[in-house]
Amino acid sequence: MDIPLFGDTLFVPTDVMAAWVFTILMAIPIGLFILKKKKVGLIFDYVKTTNHRKIGTLYILFGIVYFFRAGVDALFIRAQLAFPNNDFWVFQGEKYNEVFTTHGTLMIFFVAMPLLLGLMNVVVPLQIGARDLAFPFLNAVGFWLFFAGSVFFNVSFFINMTPEIGWTGYAPLSTEQFTPGAGTDFYVFGLQISGLGTIFTALNLIVTIIRHRAPGMKMTRMPLFAWATLITSLLIIIAFSVLAIALYLLMFDRQFGTGFFSGSEGDPVFWQHLFWIFGHPEVYILALPAFGVFSDIISTFSKKVIFGYPIMVISIALIGFLGFMVWAHHMFTVGLGPMANTFFAITTMAIAVPTGIKVFNWLFTIRGGVVRFTTPMLFALGFIPSFVMGGVTGVMLSVSAANFQFHDTHFVVAHFHYVIIASTIFGIFAGLYYWYPKITGFVLGEKLGRWHFWTFLIGFHLTFFPMHITGLEGVPRRVYTYTEADGIFLLNFTSTIGAFLMGISMLFLVWNVYKTHTNGKKVGNDPWDGRTLEWYVPSPAPVQTFDPMPIVKEIDPLWYTKLENRSLRTTTSTRPAPIETESFIPISMAMALFLLSLGLTFSLYWLAIVGGIGVLGLFIVRSFTDEREHVYGKEDSYE
Amino acid sequence: MKKLGLLLSLLLLTGCNIAVLEPKSETASDQAFLIVFSFWLMMIVVLTVFVLFVRFVYKYRYTDNKKDFMPKDVKGNKKLEATWIILPILLLAVLAVPTIAITYEQSPVAGDQSDHEGTHIYVTAQQFSWTFEHETGKEVQNDLVIPEGESIILHLNSKDVIHSFWVPHLGGKVDVLPGEELVYVIENPEIGTYQGKCAEYCGIQHAKMTFEANVVSIEDYERYVNED
Repeated sequence: MDIPLFGDTLFVPTDVMAAWVFTILMAIPIGLFILKKKKVGLIFDYVKTTNHRKIGTLYILFGIVYFFRAGVDALFIRAQLAFPNNDFWVFQGEKYNEVFTTHGTLMIFFVAMPLLLGLMNVVVPLQIGARDLAFPFLNAVGFWLFFAGSVFFNVSFFINMTPEIGWTGYAPLSTEQFTPGAGTDFYVFGLQISGLGTIFTALNLIVTIIRHRAPGMKMTRMPLFAWATLITSLLIIIAFSVLAIALYLLMFDRQFGTGFFSGSEGDPVFWQHLFWIFGHPEVYILALPAFGVFSDIISTFSKKVIFGYPIMVISIALIGFLGFMVWAHHMFTVGLGPMANTFFAITTMAIAVPTGIKVFNWLFTIRGGVVRFTTPMLFALGFIPSFVMGGVTGVMLSVSAANFQFHDTHFVVAHFHYVIIASTIFGIFAGLYYWYPKITGFVLGEKLGRWHFWTFLIGFHLTFFPMHITGLEGVPRRVYTYTEADGIFLLNFTSTIGAFLMGISMLFLVWNVYKTHTNGKKVGNDPWDGRTLEWYVPSPAPVQTFDPMPIVKEIDPLWYTKLENRSLRTTTSTRPAPIETESFIPISMAMALFLLSLGLTFSLYWLAIVGGIGVLGLFIVRSFTDEREHVYGKEDSYE
Repeated sequence: MKKLGLLLSLLLLTGCNIAVLEPKSETASDQAFLIVFSFWLMMIVVLTVFVLFVRFVYKYRYTDNKKDFMPKDVKGNKKLEATWIILPILLLAVLAVPTIAITYEQSPVAGDQSDHEGTHIYVTAQQFSWTFEHETGKEVQNDLVIPEGESIILHLNSKDVIHSFWVPHLGGKVDVLPGEELVYVIENPEIGTYQGKCAEYCGIQHAKMTFEANVVSIEDYERYVNED
C-alpha cells in the first residue's frame, strides 16, 4: 500500500498497516480503561517494584501478550500452507521468511522464557520459604532488560524491517553481505539485551535457592519445581553466556566488518557451534522447569508423594549435564565427519534414559493414588503421552545416518513442536492454572479450563502429527509453497485446521480469565489441597510473606501437617531477608540499553553514546544507593 | 492418539508416496532401514507408556467412594527404578549398533579426506540455483543427470550462503558450505526422475531452489556428458 508522506510516497505492506491499525485500536480502549478505573498509579507501582510476585506477574503478562503475537504468526504460516500454490495475503517469499523468523524467535525467547521465569519468580520463593529473591533490585533489572529486548525486537515489524534469517540466524546469511538491512540487527540486539536479563535472573534464582531457604528446608526437601529451577538456572548461566558471545561476534561482523563467520579467516560453521552450544541446552532450559511443574502437580492431584524423589533430582541434573554434550546433533549434515556424528548420536540417545526415568516415575506416582482431574492435572496428564511421542521421534532423529533424511524437514518441525509444546507450553498452562490463586487470589474456572485443555490438545495433535508424514514425503522446513503433484494437500490442510483449533482454544483462556475476574470468588490459602509451602501463605501472596517463618521437617511439609492435624512450627529468628525497594533505575537502565542498540542499528553513533553513558551513569548512581539504610540504619563505620 | 499411531504404521507399511521410505539407491535404502528399525523399536516404548498410562489413570481416577481414601505414600522402589534404567539402555544399545555402522559409512566428509572411486559430479549452489559440472566439463543448471548403479561422488560447494543438497529418494542430505568442499556419496542409484531441493534456509526464494535428478543408464550418461 502506498501512503503519501510529505510529498513522497511511502510503501507500507498491508500486514504492517494492519498491525498499526490493530495496535492503535487496542491501545485506545486499554488506555481509556486504565484512566477510567484510575489504574495509572497501579502501573507506576509495577514499574518501580522489586517484589518477586509482581515482577513474576509482569513476566507472565508480557509472555502471554507475545504468545498471542507469535501465535498469529503461526496462523499466517498455516494459512499460507493450507492449499497447494496458495497466495495467502502477503505471506509468500520474503514475508513468509519474516513470519517464521519472528514466530520462532518470539516463541522461544519472548514467550517460553518469560513465562517460565515468571512462574519461577512467583513460586520458587514461596516454595522454599524465601521472602523474596536474593537480589530484588537485580530481579527488576532482569525483567526490564527482557522487556526492552522484546520491545526492540518487536518494533522491527512496525517499521517493516523484520529479520528474515530464521530463529537460528545461520551465518553467512545473517552477515552484512547477505542481509544488509536493519532486520538482522533487531534480532541481534533484541536477543542480546533480553538474554542479559535472563542471565541476571538465573543468577538471582541460584543465590536465592542456595541462601534463602526456610530453616530446615534442606536441599533434599525442596519441591521438584525448585530443583528444576536451580538446575535450569545453572544451564542458563552457561548457555546464555555462549549466546551472548555468539551475538557479540555477529554484531562485530555486521557493524565493524570483522570476519568471524565468513570470509577466508572465519567459518560459518563456528556460528552453528556457538548457536547450538546455547541452543541445545536451551531446549532443556525450556523443558526442565516444566518437568518440575508436572512433578508437583502430579503429586498434588494424586495425593501421593513423588515416586523416587532422589532419582528424579538426579535425572534432572543428568539431563542438564548431558544437554551440553549433544549440540552437534543439529549439525550432522555439515560434514563434521563420522567420528563426531557417532559421538553425538550416542550422547543424544543417552539423554533419553534420564528422561524415560522421569516419565515412569510420574506414572508410578499416579499408581495407587487418587487422581483428581482438575485443569492443571489435565495438562499434566496430556503432557505424558504427547511428550513421549515427541521423545521417541527425538531418538529416531539421533540416529545420525537417518538424520540425513530427517534434518531440516517437517519431521523435525513436528518433533520439536511435540516436545516443546507438550512440555513447556503444557507446563506453563498447568502452572498458570495451578498457581493462579497465588498470583491473583482467584482460581480459574474449571469448565472453561477443560474446554481450553481439550481443544488445545486436539488442535496440537492435528497440527503436528501430519507433519511427521509430510516431512518423510520430502517437504523441507521453511518453504512457503508446494504443488498439487506433491500430494500433501490433505495433510497440510489438516495441520491448518489443527492450528486454528489451537488458536480458538486460546480464546477459552481469555474468556476464562475475564469471567474469573468479573464473577469469581477469592479463595483461601490452599484451594487445591496442596502439599508444599506456597499453599501456607495467603492468596495472592502478600508482599511480606512467611512472618513468622515456618520450620520445615520433611518433604511436602504442609501436607503432613494437614494429615497429622498439627500446624507448622515457626520461628522469628531468621536470616536477614532481602529488602524490597522501589526504584525507577531498572527500567531506566533497560531504556538506555534500548537507545544504545537503536543507535548501533541505524549507525546513529551519537545516540549509541548517549545510551552508553546513560547505562554507565545509572551504574554509578546505583552504586551509591543503599536501600538497606532505612531498614538497618546507616552502617557503622569501623575506622 | 493410539489411532494416529496405528495410522502412521499403516502408512509406513503401504508406503504410500512417502519419498524417504521408497529408496531408489543403496544409500537411501540404508537410511530407510534405520528409520523403520528405529520406528519399531520406539513403538515398544510408546506402547508401554500408553498402556501403563491408560491403565493407571483409569484405575486410580477419583470416584465418589474414594472420597475419604488416603493413598499410601510410596517413596520409590529400587527394583522398578532399576528396570526402567537398564531396559532403555539395552534398547538404545540395539539401536546404536546399526546407527554407528551406517554413520561411519555414510557421513559426509571434507573434500581432502575423500578417496572414493566412482563418477564425480561437482555441485555448486548459489542463491537460488544449482549448477552441476560433470567430469567432461559439461555444466548444467538445475538438472542433475547421473548414471545408474555407480558410486556417485558429489563435490559440493557454495558461492554464497549455506545451502543443503537433498534428493529424498536417493538419500541425503548434505550441507553445501561456502569456502569448504564437502563430499557425499550416493551408492547405486536406480533409473528414474526424482525431485531435488535445497533443504537449508538460504534466503528469499529458498522454496524455489529445486532441481531435477535424472538417473539414466550408463550408456545414456556417456552420451549425455559428451554431447554439448
